[in-house]
Amino acid sequence: MSNAIEARGLQRRYPTDGPPVRAVDGVDLVVEEGESVSVMGPSGCGKSTLLHLLGGLERPDAGELYLGGRRVDGLSEAAWAVLRRRAVGFVFQAFHLVDELTSVENVELPALLVGAPRRDARRRAMDLLERLGVAERAGHLPDRLSGGERQRVAVARALVNQPLVVLADEPTGNLDSHATGDILRLFADLHEARQALLIVTHDARVASTADRLLTMRDGAIVAQTRLGQGTPAAGVLARLADLGGEG
Amino acid sequence: MRSLRLAGRLAGRNLRRRPGQALLLLLALTIATGVLGVATSLYGSADAPWDRVWRATNGFHVSLTAYHPPDEPGDRAYVADLRRRAERLRAEPGVAAAGGPWTHLYGSIRVAGGQEDLTAEVRGPGPSPVDQPLVTAGRWLGDGGGVVLEGGLASVLGAGPGDTVTIQGRPFPVRGVAMTVSRGRFPLSRPAQVWVTPELARQLRGLGMTEEGFELQLRLADPDAADAFVGAHGALDAADPSSSVVAYMETWRQRRADSHADLDILAGTLFAAGTLIAILTVATAAVLIAGRMAAQVRQVGTLKAVGVTPRQVVLVLLVEHLAVAAAATALGLGVGRLLAPRIAATSVTVFGSPEPPPLTLARVALVAAVAVAVVLLGTVRPALRGIRQSTLRSLASGARPPRRPGRLARLAAGAGLPLPGVLGLRSAWRRPGRLLTNAAGLTLGVAMIVVALALRDSLEVLNLTPPEPGHAASDAAVAVLYDQIRAVIFATAGLLLALGAVNAFIVATFAARDAARNHAVLRAVGATPRQTATALVVSQLAACAVAVAVGIPLGAGLWSLMEGGDLPQVGVPAASLVLLAAAVPVLFAAIVSVPALLLARRPVAPLLAYE
Repeated sequence: MSNAIEARGLQRRYPTDGPPVRAVDGVDLVVEEGESVSVMGPSGCGKSTLLHLLGGLERPDAGELYLGGRRVDGLSEAAWAVLRRRAVGFVFQAFHLVDELTSVENVELPALLVGAPRRDARRRAMDLLERLGVAERAGHLPDRLSGGERQRVAVARALVNQPLVVLADEPTGNLDSHATGDILRLFADLHEARQALLIVTHDARVASTADRLLTMRDGAIVAQTRLGQGTPAAGVLARLADLGGEG
Repeated sequence: MRSLRLAGRLAGRNLRRRPGQALLLLLALTIATGVLGVATSLYGSADAPWDRVWRATNGFHVSLTAYHPPDEPGDRAYVADLRRRAERLRAEPGVAAAGGPWTHLYGSIRVAGGQEDLTAEVRGPGPSPVDQPLVTAGRWLGDGGGVVLEGGLASVLGAGPGDTVTIQGRPFPVRGVAMTVSRGRFPLSRPAQVWVTPELARQLRGLGMTEEGFELQLRLADPDAADAFVGAHGALDAADPSSSVVAYMETWRQRRADSHADLDILAGTLFAAGTLIAILTVATAAVLIAGRMAAQVRQVGTLKAVGVTPRQVVLVLLVEHLAVAAAATALGLGVGRLLAPRIAATSVTVFGSPEPPPLTLARVALVAAVAVAVVLLGTVRPALRGIRQSTLRSLASGARPPRRPGRLARLAAGAGLPLPGVLGLRSAWRRPGRLLTNAAGLTLGVAMIVVALALRDSLEVLNLTPPEPGHAASDAAVAVLYDQIRAVIFATAGLLLALGAVNAFIVATFAARDAARNHAVLRAVGATPRQTATALVVSQLAACAVAVAVGIPLGAGLWSLMEGGDLPQVGVPAASLVLLAAAVPVLFAAIVSVPALLLARRPVAPLLAYE
């Protein structure tokens, strides 16, 4: 099995009036294709910064980063943007949908960015919305959607180009338990396409759905626990029932 | 009182916190108040020098002038009758002294480039109790012959005592140069004037000069009775429709008001320009204040939450911007005092050096009123919104989400417009108020450029037209005046466009701030910084499109209103309009791309973290 993500000695510091804060401090990490990994830790321990580094939203001060075997830590802003279109799907706690675009337009956006024909992009977006149960909300602006619906649209957008890796930052932080179960069940499907999933969360129940749990403190990974038995996908699927989902 | 102190403190703090925006508003307001300051200082700056000459020459309170065209000699009898009646005025009650009636002969004098119409006023050698011209060089009329030139004519000819001038094709020695307020200065006041003795007049008649009329000047015991005197003897200047003779009575104040036409035209043009700029400044102020209000809406919410009343919130906003208006008034008046004398010095109608009139309360109030009006108009809408918005909403404020999906963008997407263009069109109508404000400002700028282009072409035609017979020097002086007006209009167009550019920059900056989160999201899903910057520029281009579409016909309409009079009628060439229609969007895109590129360079993660 090849590595979807590989980080070696990844570092990110933020300047302050005093000594710089080490948000991410020498992280070594490997996430295999199809593997789901959850990251937990106290607020400010560097979880979100690590996620941003892995997706190219921030640049490391030191270390090496590989996506799908390609070294990417030195890429320019524009090159990262192009890479993200195909290789990275982001899901955020605050959904971060473009509020001027309808649900379906939000979902088809990454497909259009990679150059998919408009009709094809629309079909793929509608298929995903259908699968996620929000097809009837396709023409609505995000402002008119509930929190759960918005997150489903955001997940659909993250998946539309079938990226190598999905990076989710507190994806269920603003959702009730029913919607949380729905979202996690969607993530479970990623294994079928051998897509890697990395979830940053405060919620132990969500974290327990992954194959592996990383614990961070002061910018470093201080513990790793393998959660699932057998195939990696089994970890997610087996725990969904505990979260009120129907799967 | 306590509210005012609190408002003053908060306003001062706000101004210190955002000095850049306050300076931008100050700059925009000062451009308007500065132009108006120049105009107010220009108006009347020829009066004090005129008064000096008037006093020194024992100038008239009432003047009666009669003349008839030289090619209609049949009216001489009517002129003679008028003259007899005018003579009787000398003995009227209230008349303290009289000068004339002095005969006027019509002819021509040689100037550079041709001939100029000439009036020779026939005077006795002795001093007149009224309007005795002030000799500035040489001597007054007397033994030894020679003519005395009016100061403006001497200046145009570059002639002085000892030189010769050619009248009716014959050289005559110049005896002196003198000033009078009974006529405006040549060359803007026509015809040119010389004073001659009766002996020389006989000689000139022999050379073909004809009698064209006379002038009588009176001093009254009570100068303020001049209007009543003119009213009481109005029958004298009542036009006889069967005659070509023109007779008119004037008071010294009327003559003074008409004596500096070039300054009046320049000041009037500057007033119009200042008014246009002030209108555009309302747009700038509205955009800036609304933007500041949007930025401060959370602070407004906090103030309201701790018990500050909506009225007090508005008071803070007003105090803050009225302080800027006060500073702009002071600066504008200062600029006016500084520049007006330099502009007035170019006048050819002023007797000696121009002097800006005293800074009266009325002049200060006029400039201050414009600055205050601009600020009030710019403050009303955002202030009312601030009051109406609930405290909770203010505290939770972010950029307002759109209400419905954009149809234009959908059409554009269907038409195959590239993705950044479609995304830009999605945001174009998000802030219709700002878009229209922006468009209004640019429209005025574009319209003024069209007017300036038309004026330029018209003046070029005028310059190519040979001067009328007998107008060689005066037509050239009129052309100089037109050049000055053209310079003012071009400068106004430039200032309007500069303000339009400032507006565009401010609106684009606020749009970038509003769009920051959406653009961060776009970049997170794979849009490049260039694509997001392009989207922002496209979102702003709608204002520019409106400006070009409305501004060009508006400018053409304004020009058609200005046409007529001495200006040749011309249309602006289509090529110039096409060039303008292409250049404005390019310049506009360059300006708004600055905040767009700055936004594109901001890191994504902090923008997404701010929620």
